[in-house]
Amino acid sequence: MPQNLFWWTLTMASVVWYSTITVYVAVRGAMDIKTMLRRLSMPAEKTDT
Amino acid sequence: MTHFSWVDGSIVGLYIVATMIAGIAVRRYVGRVEHFLIAGREMNLYLGIASLAATEFGIVTCMYTAQSGYVNGFAGATPGVLAALAMFFVGYTGFCVKPLRDAGVMTIPELFEIRFGPGIRWLSGVVIVLGGLLNMGVFLRTGGDFLVAVCGFDPKYLEITMTALLVSVAIYTILGGMLSVLVTDFLQFVVMSAGLLAVTVLILVTVGWDRLTATVQQRYGLGGFNPFVHPKMGWEYVVANAMLSLAMVLTWQTTIQRLLAAKDTRTGRQVYTRTSFFFLCRWLIPVVWGIAALAVLTPEQAGANTLLAMPRLLSQILPMGLMGVLVAAMLAADMSTDSSYMLTWSSVIYNDILAPFHKRQWSEKRGLVVSRAIVAVIGVFLLFYGLWYPLRGNLWDYLTVTANIYLSSMSVLLIACCYWKRSNNYGAAGAIIFGAIVPIVFLIMEQMPSTRHFAREVIGPHFSNIATYLIAGMAMVVGSLLKPEPKDIHLRKT
Repeated sequence: MPQNLFWWTLTMASVVWYSTITVYVAVRGAMDIKTMLRRLSMPAEKTDT
Repeated sequence: MTHFSWVDGSIVGLYIVATMIAGIAVRRYVGRVEHFLIAGREMNLYLGIASLAATEFGIVTCMYTAQSGYVNGFAGATPGVLAALAMFFVGYTGFCVKPLRDAGVMTIPELFEIRFGPGIRWLSGVVIVLGGLLNMGVFLRTGGDFLVAVCGFDPKYLEITMTALLVSVAIYTILGGMLSVLVTDFLQFVVMSAGLLAVTVLILVTVGWDRLTATVQQRYGLGGFNPFVHPKMGWEYVVANAMLSLAMVLTWQTTIQRLLAAKDTRTGRQVYTRTSFFFLCRWLIPVVWGIAALAVLTPEQAGANTLLAMPRLLSQILPMGLMGVLVAAMLAADMSTDSSYMLTWSSVIYNDILAPFHKRQWSEKRGLVVSRAIVAVIGVFLLFYGLWYPLRGNLWDYLTVTANIYLSSMSVLLIACCYWKRSNNYGAAGAIIFGAIVPIVFLIMEQMPSTRHFAREVIGPHFSNIATYLIAGMAMVVGSLLKPEPKDIHLRKT
């Protein structure tokens, strides 16, 4: 049935996408934290964007 | 019979200790109010994705979405599809969020002041905080109900457990503000995602897709798959949720705070587009859990309260170890939501409601003390309102009504502020007043015996929600046209 296929596709896409993004964001997010804290510990030199 | 054991308790304890250490450790980087409220605008893309995803998924989210799956089948995930589309559309086009971030403001009401004046800024702040705090008021108790049902705790310890949890969250939020929120959100995103995925895979393997779809087909027929033919949904449900989704994406303060904390406009928009699919996941995954509860549990096992069917299923099927991962994941989801919500409403109170008092003349030190005090006061409010004052009635109805009190007017104000130069404070005031009056009148009509039938059966909640947005929009247009055309205004903070 088409409705069944629609929700099956969305569910499987959710599991696969979420698994992938979790690993990727875990790695890149840790690097972002490191960069953010390094910039915040520098003397105030930045202006608002 | 629950499987919560000492192994699970150890996993949960380890997670809480790690979160507290990380949250408190970054407090030394907080030197200014801007650091405390928006992390000095230093948030980069992937940290923003983790933080937004962790914030927008709490135990309360998991509970009402699973309930939606239990009572509506797969069609119950329709709001998730609409939210994902709205997030992608807004992020891709920059609709409203680009001029908002470009303006260099810290909150939405601050932007409103540029076009509509200080009175509208203050009124917007009050409406946002009122709706937001009432909305958040039920988070703690719902989280406690989930933990009691899953872990099999004695309900008499619910208040103490959730109070201890709130105090832990408040400590690192008060000390580190947005910086602590971002760092702990990141940890919480990882733990939460691992738990959600592990449980979903377990359910799909043990219950099976065929059994899930067969159950929905048997209980709800075609309406369980298609909201347009569902007897309690229909096109008006889809339209009302589409409007709600767009309004939430544009003006929900926790989402907007990530945009405003981003290091630039492009990063903020990327956070929107790349998190958009998560807004489908956060509905669909618990909906599948809810359908699994419908398939596996007998009506006696599920109980009369459909909100608790999903946690009762999990208490039965999760093995030792995975139970600990799930509870840690759900605590992560709840803690990240609580900390972000406490901070985000405090930012509006400090930046907009208290603006007439400090007028940017307080020292950074005094501003930080006040901001921290506001977070603490919100924590106390949550404790008494959310935990010690039990909610009566349907959870999802409560959440949508309290959210709509400000979502309709704030979304209309934001769109007009960004794209309609003729808009002014007359129209803004009209939109705020009518945007709040319509849902409140509907609630009153629902409660009064003489109008209850008309409100529920003739109008219905979906038409009421659609009317709220349309009337708020009309009030903006009519009110603005009643006043002479304003001078040309540039939406950038000076």
